[in-house]
Amino acid sequence: MEQLLRILNETCPGIDFENETALIDDGILESLDIVTIVGEIIDEFGVELNVDDLLPENFNSVQAMMALIDSRRG
Amino acid sequence: MSFTSGTFLVFVLAALAAYYLTPKRYQWIILLIASYGFYLTGGVGAMGYLLFTTLTTWLAGRVLGALSDRRKALPKEDKVRQERIKRRKKWVVLAILLANFGLLYAVKYLDFTADLLHLPRPGFELLLPLGLSFYMFQSVGYVIDCYRGKYPPEKNLAKFALFVSFFPQMVQGPISRFGDLAPQLTAGKGFDADQVKYGIQLAMWGYFKKLVISDRAGVIVATVFGNYTQYRGAMIFAAVLFYCIQLYCDFSGGIDITRGVAQMFGIHLAENFRRPLFATSLADYWRRWHITLGQWMRDYVFYPMSLSKPLARLGKWTRRHIKGKLGKIIPTSIATFTVYFFIGIWHGAELRYFLFGFWNGGIITASLLLEGWFQRWREGLRIKTDSLPWKLFQMARTWALVFLGRYLTRAGSVSSALWMMKMTVLDPEVAALWDGRMLALGLNGWDMAVVFLGVAVVLAVELYQERGGHIRIALERRHWAVQWLAILIPLAVIVVLGAMGGDYIAPGFIYQQY
Repeated sequence: MEQLLRILNETCPGIDFENETALIDDGILESLDIVTIVGEIIDEFGVELNVDDLLPENFNSVQAMMALIDSRRG
Repeated sequence: MSFTSGTFLVFVLAALAAYYLTPKRYQWIILLIASYGFYLTGGVGAMGYLLFTTLTTWLAGRVLGALSDRRKALPKEDKVRQERIKRRKKWVVLAILLANFGLLYAVKYLDFTADLLHLPRPGFELLLPLGLSFYMFQSVGYVIDCYRGKYPPEKNLAKFALFVSFFPQMVQGPISRFGDLAPQLTAGKGFDADQVKYGIQLAMWGYFKKLVISDRAGVIVATVFGNYTQYRGAMIFAAVLFYCIQLYCDFSGGIDITRGVAQMFGIHLAENFRRPLFATSLADYWRRWHITLGQWMRDYVFYPMSLSKPLARLGKWTRRHIKGKLGKIIPTSIATFTVYFFIGIWHGAELRYFLFGFWNGGIITASLLLEGWFQRWREGLRIKTDSLPWKLFQMARTWALVFLGRYLTRAGSVSSALWMMKMTVLDPEVAALWDGRMLALGLNGWDMAVVFLGVAVVLAVELYQERGGHIRIALERRHWAVQWLAILIPLAVIVVLGAMGGDYIAPGFIYQQY
């Protein structure tokens, strides 16, 4: 979780990632942030994401992202 | 300078000699000179585009790097200034996207837009330079990766210019990533006979596909498509089949030459094909065909679009009104459709390419949306999804879908493609396939046999590879004489069968126009 929070805070320093739960639904993350975050998740955690994984609920909060990473790491 | 010309072979030999005779730390300069020399043979006018993309994307990388450094130097608590710098970085990326894709748009799509809107075409004629979209996608990808901070930007303009212009990939890609390619281009390489041998073998495999198979198949394709109203369904069907053979052997053959030549310099380029014939769905086909374009689209279009605010809003609505998985994946499906639509229009500014995009995007999106139903059907019919017959069925289904799409990409217009499809179904006249008329399309029985034998060889090799085999590694274990025969025999085949007559000039690669 710390590693993910570090990536997120470096990408978008002005966002309260620990408490935010609608990062996608409320449009808090912009397109270039998403390119960065998805790319970093793939590179840093060594996971592969499927088309089905690219759903807002998997990226709305740091907990959801972590759950997705854990599920992909098996 | 065409890959299939003698001049190119001499050029590569000279570049190799100069490269390996130069001290390692200066070798990249030889590659840069060779690359710009290669590109200049295509005309001075094209150079302006290359320099524009090189300079703008290099500058953008430098600015993004400087902004990232400034941001890192700020205290973490200073979120206001951090946010301000981030916003500036975004503007830099936006400006680069607009400048480069704006240029690509002007060159490729301006006339089409004018026609579509019934406006007069612009009075000037813009030249479509060789490999424009390939090196532009590669360079723009670099800028986005610099924004991400994936790697530090290249400080040396000349080294960056080599990354954009590395000559083997200037004809038809592959679209490389900076982190994979740039370090290889600038690292010094000692002469490695194995790398050179592997490179020659791969390039020869490419020449075999291009000169022995593709250019022969292309004769029938040009004859039938050039005068399609003279032919009935079965011959049109055969011509589309020959076009599929031509296109695959042309594009994948060209990429093999590209990767083979690069490997002779000790440089490994990204794979662009993974035996698309064995694809079990249209989506799988696009993961195996022109892989680097698909990956580019996935990273820079699909990811941000799937998670964009408008699609998230739509997703909320669809989940409320449509139950189950269907309601959930509609936004992702729209992003998927958009990617394949973009891949379609990437090929060119013609209605048929738009329809090609719709065709691929529509089918893949529909299969995503309907997957739940298909799953129930498969269970109801007790189909063993890992069985060979089911795999063969899936492959045949994919071939049929790809085959239909090829009518659109090769026919001169949408109406002629539709007419040809109609003829294939309604007026097949199958007897034309064996009453001698097939031999009146420009290929005699011998040439026809060469095409079929060539295709059989490609199929056998790809089947072996699909099952995990590695031809070049397998050869490595054999006696050295066998290894050399594996070079000399294909070389003899290419020399004897590759040219059709003394005055024959091999046509260019199909994908170099994109």
